[in-house]
Amino acid sequence: MHLYPSNVRSRLTAWYVGALAALLVAYGAASLFFLFLSMREQMDHNLLEDVETVEGQVAAQPDGSVTLRLHHGDEGDTGFHRFVEIWTPEGTLLYRTPQLRGQALDASPIPGEGLGEREPVSKHLPNGLRVRLVRSLHHFEGRTLILRIAHNEAAMWQELSEFATVLLIGLPIGVLLAGFGGYALARKALAPIDAMTRETQKISADDLGARLSVKNQEDELGRLAAVLNAMLGRLQGAFEQLRRFTADASHELRTPLTAIRSVGEVSLQTQRSPSEYRDVIGSMLEEVDRLTKLVGSLLTLSRADAGSVQLQRAELLLLTVANEAAGLVEVLAEEKRQRIAIDGDRELRVSGDRLILRQAVVNLLDNAIKYSPANSQITVHVGRTADNRAALDITDSGPGIPKEHQQYVFDRFYRVDKARTREWGGAGLGLSIARWAVEAHQGELILKSEEGQGATFSISLALHDNSSPSQKKGGLR
Amino acid sequence: MQEEKHPLRILVVEDETKVACALCEGLEREKYDVVAAATGEEGFFLVNAEEFDLVILDLMLPGRSGLQILSTLRKRGLQTPVLILTARDAVEDRVRGLDSGADDYLVKPFAFPELLARVRARLRRGRTEQTHQLKYIDLEMDAMSRKVRRSGRLLDLTAREFELLEYLLRHKEQIVSREMLARDVWKETARATPLDNVMDVHINRLRRKVDEPFDRKLIHTVRGVGFVLREE
Repeated sequence: MHLYPSNVRSRLTAWYVGALAALLVAYGAASLFFLFLSMREQMDHNLLEDVETVEGQVAAQPDGSVTLRLHHGDEGDTGFHRFVEIWTPEGTLLYRTPQLRGQALDASPIPGEGLGEREPVSKHLPNGLRVRLVRSLHHFEGRTLILRIAHNEAAMWQELSEFATVLLIGLPIGVLLAGFGGYALARKALAPIDAMTRETQKISADDLGARLSVKNQEDELGRLAAVLNAMLGRLQGAFEQLRRFTADASHELRTPLTAIRSVGEVSLQTQRSPSEYRDVIGSMLEEVDRLTKLVGSLLTLSRADAGSVQLQRAELLLLTVANEAAGLVEVLAEEKRQRIAIDGDRELRVSGDRLILRQAVVNLLDNAIKYSPANSQITVHVGRTADNRAALDITDSGPGIPKEHQQYVFDRFYRVDKARTREWGGAGLGLSIARWAVEAHQGELILKSEEGQGATFSISLALHDNSSPSQKKGGLR
Repeated sequence: MQEEKHPLRILVVEDETKVACALCEGLEREKYDVVAAATGEEGFFLVNAEEFDLVILDLMLPGRSGLQILSTLRKRGLQTPVLILTARDAVEDRVRGLDSGADDYLVKPFAFPELLARVRARLRRGRTEQTHQLKYIDLEMDAMSRKVRRSGRLLDLTAREFELLEYLLRHKEQIVSREMLARDVWKETARATPLDNVMDVHINRLRRKVDEPFDRKLIHTVRGVGFVLREE
């Protein structure tokens, strides 16, 4: 038998049964003790009353000895209930109940016996009798007598032992019944957890779409199931993202490799002129360049994931960051005859890494330029949000982003338009890098877009606190 | 370019044969005297035994790591400039390299024009003359007054176009990579896709102003490598 049961159900039952047994034993013992006390008190009461009776029964014999006079119907000391000894103070036994058969209730009297309060004491006689004994001085016809009156305790002990027997038999039965009941209850209470365990076991990495059934959302188990379900949801999302990322990354890495390989192989099939070889090598180098940039971007992102990028924070004017970024990509917009309009609060300050934040804005602007039609306008607005944060909104007049794509646009390699060429589209990492850059500043980058009505990317950052200079130091690193 | 009487000696310590061969051939084509070492031990021995003007050192070597070689050399008081090549580009790696006494640091995969530019910069160190009058064939630039003429005709360039042309002029007949332009002209640390497109636009505009009205074309794209100012 295991001393420590392995399942919760048995453990609960064991604790419950143990506690109940201890409680019952304590209760039984206490009852027995109080019963004993109350019976002995009753006995002492009777014994003391009996002293008066016996005193009244003392009678002198003509030969000077003393005997007890029995009333009619009084069992007196003829039964095995009451025993009496009468002594002279000098130590002469005057009378002894015949049923004692010569067994003394106590040794010869000692000086002073029977004086003072009558205090009953328990005696265990050598012949096996347990008695309650009281001593008393009695003045009788000019003589002083010592009376020793004892009551047999046998009846009391009999009664107590019967009660104890009842307890000893009843207690294990009660405990056993309670144990069964407790086990059944625990089983019933824990059954939903077992069911949940079985359900959870069935969910594997390939089947993360499954969810636990929730019977009652309000109780503890329902909440547990809801929490597990939410976790499964996140896990599923992460798995899907990882799967998509792996597939996309291998596609993005293999495409340039394929190009390098086939361009090289094909060029070696026939003899070519130097200028043709030059072309081939140039084309291969272009793909190498693409791969190099891709690996660089992936490294940046994985460092960002690992949290090992140190921001060089400084106090920045958000509008200046926007202007610098726009200045960099302005020519791209000019080529499409687009206009980048920047306005907003020129005093708004944030604390950030200038290069990293600018990179985020550049990537977003580049995205806006790419997707906006020629001759359109791209708006950059810098302002305060309702919850007192700094916001930078970039709005394009492109085709917008359909709802079903919106949650994925920040995913690595994700392209809304799958057919878009790599020539202009880049690797599809721009928005992921922008989001990372903003989030590294404890900011938020969100997309608002209605299909057909352009898109707005909003960066929101904590304001640089220049109202309280003491806090400024703490805020910067 | 090579005005020196005796060619400058460069030691290349690199265990990857293909890379080592490419480096040797490319540097020899630039009239340098190149000695190659394939292991750390060999490089260590050579650098102690012979005189070199520059050491190009790979950090990940079998036997003895590049950093160990470097710090031992510096402890012995050898002042030969050292250019480190490595695939590790985390900031702390760079710092460690420069702390051990490296003079420059290049991350693999590097562009060869970039390596050449760094080698030239190292060997020229101490006698650089930042001239303001730049001239190539009929293209003249005054970097002080920021005026550019071609065949005597004044060209109207934007600030960025001017900086771009100045960089090409200062590296005339040398290929400049996109990484070099990103770092030196645009002052950007990372070369992102938008920047590449921006570069293309600026190069095209510069071409339109500098080359289009004239017969001799000077600005050329070297496919997959970068740009160069030369006459073809």
